[in-house]
Amino acid sequence: MRNNDGDTMTLIEVQDIKKDYPSHHGTISIINGVSFDVADNDFVAIIGPSGCGKSTMLRIIQGLERPTSGEVRFRGKPVLSTCNEMAMVFQSFALLPWLTIKENVAFGLVARGWTPEKINAQVDRYISVTGLVGFEEAYPRELSGGMRQRVGLARALAVEPAVLLMDEPFSALDALTAEGLREEVLQLWRDPDLPPEAVALVTHNIEEALLMADKIVVLSHRPSRVLAVVPVTLPRPRDRKSDAFYELTDYLYSLITEGAPGPGPAGKALPEGTATPAAGAGPVAPADDPPPTPDASG
Amino acid sequence: MMKQLSPMRRGLVVAGPALIAAGAALLLGPGTGNWGFLRDLPQATYYLSFSFVRMIVAYALSLGFSLVYGYFAATNRGAERVLIPILDILQSVPILGFFPVAIAVFISIPYIGINLASIFLIFTSMAWNMVFGVYESLKSIPGDLREASDSFGVRGWQRLRQVLIPATINRLVYNSVLSWTGGWFFLVAAEFIASSRSTVALPGIGSYLLYAAGAGNGSALVAGLIVLIALITVLDLAVWRPLGRWAEKYRYDTTPSGDADAANAPARRVTAPLRRAVAGLARRVRTGFITASTPLVSLGTFALGRGTTRRRSFAALAGRYLALGSILIFSWYLLITAGVAIYSIYIHPIGAFALAQIRMIPYDLASSIGRLIAAYTLSLVIAFPLAYFLTHRPRAARIGLPLVEIVASVPATAIFPLIVFVVVLDIGRQATSVILLSTGMIWYLFFNLLSGMRSIPPDLDEAARSFGVKGGPYYRKVLLPAVFPAFITGSITALGGGWNTLIVAEYLSVSKTVQMPTGPVTTTHVVYQVPGIGQLIQAGFAENSAAVYVAALLALVVAVVVVNELLWKPLYRRAIEKYKYD
Repeated sequence: MRNNDGDTMTLIEVQDIKKDYPSHHGTISIINGVSFDVADNDFVAIIGPSGCGKSTMLRIIQGLERPTSGEVRFRGKPVLSTCNEMAMVFQSFALLPWLTIKENVAFGLVARGWTPEKINAQVDRYISVTGLVGFEEAYPRELSGGMRQRVGLARALAVEPAVLLMDEPFSALDALTAEGLREEVLQLWRDPDLPPEAVALVTHNIEEALLMADKIVVLSHRPSRVLAVVPVTLPRPRDRKSDAFYELTDYLYSLITEGAPGPGPAGKALPEGTATPAAGAGPVAPADDPPPTPDASG
Repeated sequence: MMKQLSPMRRGLVVAGPALIAAGAALLLGPGTGNWGFLRDLPQATYYLSFSFVRMIVAYALSLGFSLVYGYFAATNRGAERVLIPILDILQSVPILGFFPVAIAVFISIPYIGINLASIFLIFTSMAWNMVFGVYESLKSIPGDLREASDSFGVRGWQRLRQVLIPATINRLVYNSVLSWTGGWFFLVAAEFIASSRSTVALPGIGSYLLYAAGAGNGSALVAGLIVLIALITVLDLAVWRPLGRWAEKYRYDTTPSGDADAANAPARRVTAPLRRAVAGLARRVRTGFITASTPLVSLGTFALGRGTTRRRSFAALAGRYLALGSILIFSWYLLITAGVAIYSIYIHPIGAFALAQIRMIPYDLASSIGRLIAAYTLSLVIAFPLAYFLTHRPRAARIGLPLVEIVASVPATAIFPLIVFVVVLDIGRQATSVILLSTGMIWYLFFNLLSGMRSIPPDLDEAARSFGVKGGPYYRKVLLPAVFPAFITGSITALGGGWNTLIVAEYLSVSKTVQMPTGPVTTTHVVYQVPGIGQLIQAGFAENSAAVYVAALLALVVAVVVVNELLWKPLYRRAIEKYKYD
């Protein structure tokens, strides 16, 4: 968390978003009236059961998808098409397999029409910030999952977005790698010289949300509404063994399971966080990467 | 990560053509003085160069065409609804039959006219397949890559260069292999057809082979086959395999690195461009058959019944087809009577002989279909056990598969002169034509069956073994159902190839005065023909009887479209529905 106390300008206003999808039997309502704010210096996590439209919500925020009704405002202006001030990190990494790491990181900069010299300098900076030095000319398929997601992160940070959107960024990684990368993302976030000004993280992992976010938006089962907006004031670095952490976990867990009929996958995500923070704090080993776990949440 | 060819395989790939050549030399040995063909190599190479240039020009045209057509079909919904069904019809009609039309269109341009016609034909044999490659790869760009491009605001030139074009490269390379294989087939066939009229000359490897066979010049025949096979093999080793390795970069990686299977899979595929290419062919059938719906399909569904009501009695089914058949034959006669009347009045009176020929078309069509069925059966009887053997005997496959691939890469038409005029005429024309036809069909079946058998999930096999299922029940419950979709795809593509092959397998003629490249002027009257629709098309062209040609071509096209729409499409959809794994 950065120390600009008192400055709480609202960056993003999500106002009564509804989203329907056409289906065989009329339309299906995915999101049914979701509102929340993301302020400057906010790290917001959006959690909810699988299939509740969290990822769709994120896409609507950037303007990749249009809501059926409602409005997203960025710095007071409605988002009507893809917003250039935001950048997304994807669950599946979404790197172009035929571009080198360098070219992948430059992807958004080329689109913004930067000069080659500026692109080079910027790419070098974010490659070193994300710990990818030495892999510039490699191709994504030659990297482990953890390293690939660093590329995804570098690509997003390189365009220096005001808001970083992260769509389940750690759920295709194994538990240890995810732990390490989470820690690094928090370090980058704490660095006042680096973008972004705010982060919106979508996850189904309650513990992940509690470890990272200042504010947790809890969505219900589909069609989703906001069950609660929970501020997290635990001191950083957060100790997941503390009583306060336990209490909050329990609270969020019961909120999600009781708000949703049937057992949600959020409960299953709990044991993943039982590794001690120290174990995963170091640099990520690129070699040990189990296959990405399939995740149907969308 | 990329595995190179083992020395043994590489040696085999090089030694293969030499082996075939030696075999051919031995076969023709007594008459030709064993190594006499060496003398003919330069001449054969000279003629081959004409053909090669035509291939390159046609390929360049196909490449440009496929990128533009595929792009529009994939990115514009309205265009897609029109372009894809057109493509589906185009790819299913036997384009060889249209070659005389192309000649008629281009012939007015002296010298290059006939070449243009030939290039046009080769183009039509190459392009559709590549268009499907471009279309499908653009359609199947993973959603997250699209979203990432949108999210970072990538559009215009950058999108084309960094996203869209790279996405097409992998399939384009493999479909190119297929296009070249098909292209050689049609190139040679076009030269045959042109040769049937003495006024038209299309110099190239095909006409060289035909003249050599017609004149009984065995050494020239061997020389021609050697240079052709050598060129195809060199292209495979020097162009397609390296290109295939390069194209691996443009593949989407769905498995994480470090996975042993993922590391080996690309290498395995790279070593077999042709096998990989056939997978592309299967996809093309799938796209054509599933995406492209024509009004006729609903008729087919009516005839065969919907996928959900499977238990329809055979008698009811046969009855429906019989009714449908009668309607079709009746409408054919109606159509032809009207057509002949209009043609006679407005264009040219049709002579009694030609009229008789036109009346006989349903009969010719029936005998051609009978021949196709015979050739298909023959191909299946050979291809199925061969594919089974090479799947279950990995060690035999290491040597056997590369050999089969070399043999399969030789265009079937190139060995027609050898078979017709030198080896097999003794066994009778009917049997000869069936053998010719099956050479044009067997590889589609073989490679599809092979990939079908190889892609049976190992755990399915293990489950069968674990429960002690073997013998008859194993074949009925595991192998045959698992292979069924590949079998149907193979059958469809084999029949597609068969319709084209018909045209040259029922009629081959060498013009009356032959100037052998290396000998004196000899006079021969060599026409080989069996009654059938393909023969009628070629004879119509050779004897300058436009009415017969047009009627026969029309009948062929209608027959192909009807069989595809009414038989294969419904069958295919059911096969896919019932037997897919996922």
